[in-house]
Amino acid sequence: MTPGRAPAALVPTMPHLLAGDPAPSWAELAAATRTVGDRLRAAGVDTVLLLSTQWFTVLGHQVQCDERLRGRRTDENWYAYDYGHLDHDLAIDTELAHSWADAIDAAGMQARRTRYEGFPVDTGTVVAARLLDPDGRGRWAQVSCNLYADPAAMAAVAAAGVRAAQGLGRRPGIVAVSGLSSGLTPRWIRPAEDRVEPEHDRWNRKVLDAIRAGDRGAVLAMREEFADAAQADSQFRAFAFLDGSGAVDRPGEVLAYGPVWGTGAAVVWWGGSGGRGESTERES
Amino acid sequence: MARVFHATAGSGRSAARRAPGTEPAPAPAPRSASRGGIVAGYLAPHPPHLVYAENPPQNEPRSTGGWEVLRWGYEELRRRLRAHRPDVLIVHAPHWITMVGHHVNCVPNPRGVSVEPIFPHLFRYHYDFRTDVDLAEAIVEEGSRAGLVTSAMREDGVRVDYATIGALHLANPDWDLPVVSLSANNNPYFYSDASLTEMETLGAATRRAVERTGRRAVLLASNSLSHLHWDTEPDLPEDMGVERPFTHAQYAGDMELLQTIREGPTSRLKAAVPKHIEATSSETKAGSLTWLLAAMGWPAIAGDVLAYGTVIATGNAVVEWVAP
Repeated sequence: MTPGRAPAALVPTMPHLLAGDPAPSWAELAAATRTVGDRLRAAGVDTVLLLSTQWFTVLGHQVQCDERLRGRRTDENWYAYDYGHLDHDLAIDTELAHSWADAIDAAGMQARRTRYEGFPVDTGTVVAARLLDPDGRGRWAQVSCNLYADPAAMAAVAAAGVRAAQGLGRRPGIVAVSGLSSGLTPRWIRPAEDRVEPEHDRWNRKVLDAIRAGDRGAVLAMREEFADAAQADSQFRAFAFLDGSGAVDRPGEVLAYGPVWGTGAAVVWWGGSGGRGESTERES
Repeated sequence: MARVFHATAGSGRSAARRAPGTEPAPAPAPRSASRGGIVAGYLAPHPPHLVYAENPPQNEPRSTGGWEVLRWGYEELRRRLRAHRPDVLIVHAPHWITMVGHHVNCVPNPRGVSVEPIFPHLFRYHYDFRTDVDLAEAIVEEGSRAGLVTSAMREDGVRVDYATIGALHLANPDWDLPVVSLSANNNPYFYSDASLTEMETLGAATRRAVERTGRRAVLLASNSLSHLHWDTEPDLPEDMGVERPFTHAQYAGDMELLQTIREGPTSRLKAAVPKHIEATSSETKAGSLTWLLAAMGWPAIAGDVLAYGTVIATGNAVVEWVAP
């Protein structure tokens, strides 16, 4: 097949998107994430290459190699709410996962193949999977977010994943699960009280404007300053990962933006090319 | 006054997995034998490598050892801890990360398997212990009364983290003492450190709760020191041929802090800990050490450094402070 460019997305990590009684922004972010799932299916994606900043690691790059991640996560902070209890059932594309790990090793980095009974799947992964793939029919390949990896390494990990997918004839979609600013409101609030503080909001919008403009260079250039000024989730390594996949060198469509317990969250879509069923894509 | 209990932790199955025969504890110090309160505090670092290296029956992975000097320090900690004859161990750990407020584990009998997502090849630990629920609830109440956002966590589905288990196991591998486990209200991965001022408030609240309930408590601050480390691992995790400080500056920063600890009094650490955090990205930014010293009332004493060593380049010290 002709590889083309893979479709990609940035989606939020917080479990509030699954709330039974959500704030308006939580509901909008959840609906937009579901839209991304629809578009990934319409684009004929075989397997989603997933990075969640909530699976943070510090040694090498862990690749999930367990064929089925089934269980219930009780979130250690949000357990008092309905969205703190997260059932999950993810099918891992283990052939691609192993190939991805091999490609990471071949690129001179350290892959760590992860397959352990009872492995705690992170909240971000579960939230994204449930919204992107509500029927549980999709397949996933997942790598951890190494908090000590520089942007070049994050990009190289993503590139290795795309190469691995293409080598197996897979049509990949690229999804990074990450927040924007992370100035969490440090008290229990009602959903209606949710807001992003003005300085963090200004930074989030600045980053999203550059993404809308398709100016990946500007986003990468402001990444460290964004991290310092707005406590960007994991220093916004998610964007470096997306960049490495080759998917974000064009305008991104911001489907939703809003607060989640004081943090900034957005759903962004980058349409692909050359794949199956691309007719539904729209770029801003 | 709430009842002080001495429950034997663990199921019969877990008891059977325990290591045989520990050295008898020395006689307790006469001055404190009859009274409650906080009798001692320990800086008790939690790298999962130390549990892995011990090969306890509760942990699935097997090792060939490693990090012996730190583990010998923990052996001395255990001997001293038993001499204090505590009713309860209270641990504050940085890897039960709670984004909203300070949470206290009020589950009577936490049990399960803690597969550590960062180090799953080293730490898959079968835990089964008893919580001193009365004291846990008292800490929640005292913290709330002091103006902190606090929560009593009663969900047995919440996995107990490796920093809690690690410090508790290394301090008391028999798990024969009740426990109170406190979360860390911060998220270092979002670059928001704990408020050390708030940790002082939590420490004072912990002290009041201990006194109110009449417990005889030992505190564990589950923190490493300098915290820059390697981002890859040797094929043999316990390969001591590659174990060393991340930089000389990180090592020197740790030594400066430890020298201050050894000289005392602890009040000097109010300035020294933030300085050390700034210099070494110390894990004490999660607040455990400040909580411990505040709970002890910043006593005018020196600490006793039982061991120092690095784990994947991070600095780790086992330190004892005995309440005067």
